[in-house]
Amino acid sequence: MKGKTEIHDFVRELLTNSGDDEPLVDQDSLLISGRLQSIDAVEIVVFLEENFGIDFTRIGFDREQIDSIDLIYALTQTTAAGN
Amino acid sequence: MIAQVKPAGLLSGRLANFRLIPRLETYPKVVAFAQTAPGKVAILAAFALGQCYFLSDLFSALPLTLIFSLITFMPEYRRFILAIAPIIFLVLETYRDPALLGLNLAVIALGILLYCCAMRWPKSRFGQRPIAFLLSGFTALIFIACAATPRSLPHWILWTLVGLLASYLWFIAYALSDRNSMPARDLTIELTSFRPLWGSTNTPFPKGAAYLRRIEAQNPEQLAIVQLKGLKLLLWAILLAVFQLMWNRFFHGSLHIPTSAEALALSVQGRPVAWHLRWESLILAFFELILSISIMGHKLIAGCRMAGFNALRNTYAPLFSTTIAEFFNRFYYYFKELLVDFFFYPTFLRYWKGHKRMRMAFATFAAAFFGNGFYHFTRDWQIIRDLGFWKSLVNYQTLLIYNTALATGLSISQLRKRGPRLPGFFRGRLLPAFGVGMFYCLLSVFETSERMYPLVEHLRFLASLFFIHF
Repeated sequence: MKGKTEIHDFVRELLTNSGDDEPLVDQDSLLISGRLQSIDAVEIVVFLEENFGIDFTRIGFDREQIDSIDLIYALTQTTAAGN
Repeated sequence: MIAQVKPAGLLSGRLANFRLIPRLETYPKVVAFAQTAPGKVAILAAFALGQCYFLSDLFSALPLTLIFSLITFMPEYRRFILAIAPIIFLVLETYRDPALLGLNLAVIALGILLYCCAMRWPKSRFGQRPIAFLLSGFTALIFIACAATPRSLPHWILWTLVGLLASYLWFIAYALSDRNSMPARDLTIELTSFRPLWGSTNTPFPKGAAYLRRIEAQNPEQLAIVQLKGLKLLLWAILLAVFQLMWNRFFHGSLHIPTSAEALALSVQGRPVAWHLRWESLILAFFELILSISIMGHKLIAGCRMAGFNALRNTYAPLFSTTIAEFFNRFYYYFKELLVDFFFYPTFLRYWKGHKRMRMAFATFAAAFFGNGFYHFTRDWQIIRDLGFWKSLVNYQTLLIYNTALATGLSISQLRKRGPRLPGFFRGRLLPAFGVGMFYCLLSVFETSERMYPLVEHLRFLASLFFIHF
């Protein structure tokens, strides 16, 4: 089971690959703010499926769920509790 | 605050910080002034004057300015005003034609009804997949309209309904997809997004109510900042429009370079222009399309920001794109978002989960080929009405090739392993950007006068660019 640090590192890597070297805070909006693109959202989805076993077809998908590191972490916790 | 990410590494130092239009929203004194009554009046007046560039006179800008004034001075009623005003405008525009007004209101009522059903019965088959039901239902309506006897009353009613529904389709789709978003039970903002006051194409600007809720100004300072950004964006649109005028006069007026449509037409007539002119017309068309889309998007988003919603720009630095997918995102953001929301994500989350590359390619084709095709095919419903379904599908063959090439390019672009950009301006920026521009330039051969000539004429024109003649 991975934690918040791994999520932070993963998002940081996505931002760096997009040419964004601005500071990253856990509450920062990632997708709605335009810092990350829809293709990055796909990377986050796959990351969550592979590392946290989240099935979005079951819980429904909304980009707002994964718009910040805090929200992603909360989603992993909720899903873990649900399982 | 929402901010699109500027491509990094291209410019540095003072040049990177240079702004043609100063970043007024970052000056504390300007923001403070914009929150006072004289400041609000000044912004509203400047925006109204700016709009006059695109309208016939100042009088035409007054209704919108009046609404923006109400929102600016009474922001607590913003949602209510934005929900009601477009319906009032609709009634004023169409009251002389009661049938048209009735059908318009019926389509809005249908949208609200579907939204309420999706909210009320989320576990039903419709509630689970409302977008699929909506798009299937719309397709069925087109088939029924095709079967109606021409020049009969049912024919008129059905095709008017198709036309109206086509213009509302994606707005209703966003409202239906909003059911997952909380809190989603505010009908005023749903109505706002149904028929945005600031205008729109068939593509909702900017998306649906869920997005509007997230980007809405929450206090006087945020409203002042977002309105200043709106004013700046309108100014950008005017500058680009002036530049576009000069561009057309210089290249097409003074240098007599044909437009890509003219070059293709001459090729079809067997009188092709010189090889270099064919390339020049194509390259110019690429930049001209970017200019047109930028101006259109900036005008709409400027209005949206004046209403207090800090929406992202529709077009943002597309020439800095280093991949085909990045260009697609930067060129027409809200259309790309539509394809991603309604075609890419649903496919990606549901199919080929065990095959990473296949999963990505399949979802990309679902969006860029099927979704793109469905959007444009149904948007041009008049062609289906005039030619009939099957003939209009044959008429669409050139765009099908366009969509196939686009989907293939996007798939490859997304499947290539992403990593840090290559170092250096030439290898890291210029060369990739040139490749991206070249791809879209060549692709535009299939977009130019796409319904006018058979596919073979487009292929002939494309081949002639590389000295291949058939």
